[in-house]
Amino acid sequence: MKMKFAWLLAASMMTAPVWAADPIKIGVAGPFTGGSASMGVSMRDGVKLAVSEINAAGGVMGRPIELVERDDEAKNELGVQIAQELINKENVVATVGYINTGVALASQRFYQEAEIPVFNNVATGSIVTKQFAGADFKANYIFRNAANDTIQSAMIAEEAVKRQGFKKPAILADASNYGQLGKTDLTNALQKMNITPVATEKFNVGDTDMTAQLLRAKEAGADVILTYAIGPELAQIANGMAKLGWKVPMIGSWTLSMASFIDTAGPNGDGAMMPQTFIQQPTTPKRKAFIEAYQKAYNVDRMPSPVSAAQGYDSIYLLAAAITQAKSTEGRAIREALENLNTKMEGVVTTYDHPFSAADHEAISDNIPVFGLVKGGRVGPAHPEDIEGDKALRIKPKA
Amino acid sequence: MQILMQLIVSGISVGMIYGVIAFGYQLTFATSKTLNFGQGEALMLGALVGLTTVNFLIGNALGNFWAYILMLPVVLAFGALQGSVVEWLGVRPAMRAKSEAGWIMATIALGIIFKNLAENIWGRDALRFPSPLPEASLSIGGIRIQPMEIVVVLGAIVLMVVVELFNRYSIYGKAVVATSNDRDAAGLMGINTNRIITFSYALSSMSAAFAGVLVAPITLTGASMGAVLGLKAFAVAIIGGLSSGLGVVIGGLILGITETLTGYYISTGYKDVPGLLLLLIVLSLKPSGLFGKAAIKKV
Repeated sequence: MKMKFAWLLAASMMTAPVWAADPIKIGVAGPFTGGSASMGVSMRDGVKLAVSEINAAGGVMGRPIELVERDDEAKNELGVQIAQELINKENVVATVGYINTGVALASQRFYQEAEIPVFNNVATGSIVTKQFAGADFKANYIFRNAANDTIQSAMIAEEAVKRQGFKKPAILADASNYGQLGKTDLTNALQKMNITPVATEKFNVGDTDMTAQLLRAKEAGADVILTYAIGPELAQIANGMAKLGWKVPMIGSWTLSMASFIDTAGPNGDGAMMPQTFIQQPTTPKRKAFIEAYQKAYNVDRMPSPVSAAQGYDSIYLLAAAITQAKSTEGRAIREALENLNTKMEGVVTTYDHPFSAADHEAISDNIPVFGLVKGGRVGPAHPEDIEGDKALRIKPKA
Repeated sequence: MQILMQLIVSGISVGMIYGVIAFGYQLTFATSKTLNFGQGEALMLGALVGLTTVNFLIGNALGNFWAYILMLPVVLAFGALQGSVVEWLGVRPAMRAKSEAGWIMATIALGIIFKNLAENIWGRDALRFPSPLPEASLSIGGIRIQPMEIVVVLGAIVLMVVVELFNRYSIYGKAVVATSNDRDAAGLMGINTNRIITFSYALSSMSAAFAGVLVAPITLTGASMGAVLGLKAFAVAIIGGLSSGLGVVIGGLILGITETLTGYYISTGYKDVPGLLLLLIVLSLKPSGLFGKAAIKKV
């Protein structure tokens, strides 16, 4: 018995932190397994990297950050359970994450009620930050540092019609919420340019034969295919086009950068273009340091989802800056600090200078993302001139 | 015309897969009047075991083609084993207890267990299966077809013909046919009908596993690949009739072709609707299926 106690004491001394103060608990929720795992895992790894850097530099207010990671498996009901666990049992001061818009929408109401900030660093649905905005709510606890679908669809339309001069786009979207909401956003964006898509086709998640959809687009005379879907089905589209011996460019939402698309489509996926907030290239010193640290920490060459990793990394620094400014871990104080962030913070994606206000909870504006292009299994810049010189760092215009 | 032909060709290759899986339903139904509702999972396990084997063989400096050929016996053996396990754990206890529905619950439960098992072993991502043949499509009279699609159709036909020949000409096959016709009489004639039923389950999962490695190179491999296919094949089995081997093949082709034709000529959003309508019509007009023999249940 005595022996056991001695062991316990020794063990607790070994793990006892050098910190005198209590850690600050931050929740991390996202799909770490399943179809969107490449995004979830990259996001989590970006988050962990930022936390280890912050803790090595002395923590926040002299307290270390402790992450509570939970896998939501991209399932709404699991997201809800996790939200309740993180709020009531783990007592987190804030939660970062969410890859899937549906999970974010189902889960974040609990944070809103508990007045604990949620930092969406990947989910793109336009409605995510607007769920509790407006006159009916005293305050909105939902923030985001990802390019939302309104921004992405406008960029896709702009790129296809204005920059590349395509006149007859066909839209291919999956039957999920993500695909169908994106399809509506895309149709609206094209409408503003007086363009009606020549074909709008739908398929189920898990469909493997795209012959009917592609033939309809082809027969309608489509000169470009605009997509809103996720990796595996996007790959089936690219492979289906190759099978039919028909090749038109694919331009679509940022999911065209998913590893499952790039790896499954192989050479058929080359040339696909999508909006990216971050491309794995050392265009600024900060980005160079981030890429090298990530590669070293996780022993990879190609990040599975560079955008998710970079946004995950930045989300923690923004949150840490807000906690430091608020000098408190109380939810309301953190939210107020986020809404008037005084420190100008250089992140990987952009330099955040007053990124949020009480009315605007989106850190990424439409001038920040650039187009990425799939080539040889990697995403590079589609228009290298867009990120040359001083254009490398794109900053949200002041309100 | 060319488009119509292209759609039909794609429909055939999809439909043939539905047909092979439905053929598996038919095999066990014939001998024991029970089905394996985890047929989709048997297909998925076959494909994943195939993927691991192929990757292992390719890792040992074998070409894609020979790796694929050498993998086939492994997958077939695995399928047979998996089917026997399903029969032993799920179906036999229910039949011994003379339970009318026990085997339904048991095979569904086993299907879920297999899926979870696969998620734990292979993860939940969709994985790429190395294609044994060139992936560039051939153009035959303006119709584009992937070499692997031809293999799918041929492979499915070969499998069904082999099973049919086996049933007709081997002594063991004759025992299977006898059990299908009248289990009690076959038992009295000295046929071990329990063993025949186990065998039919082994054969059924074997054909599903084979279907799995046939489709895997043109689709993706993953723990969730079986769910949709298993369900579609079930619809095919009902349309074609559970008592007819030829019926399920034709049922598969009908469903595959209607799907692609509706997708093109009506709307891709309604692709699945005519198949389901067809299912309802067949069920109300000819409940034993288009090619099924109407069975009179004697009480």
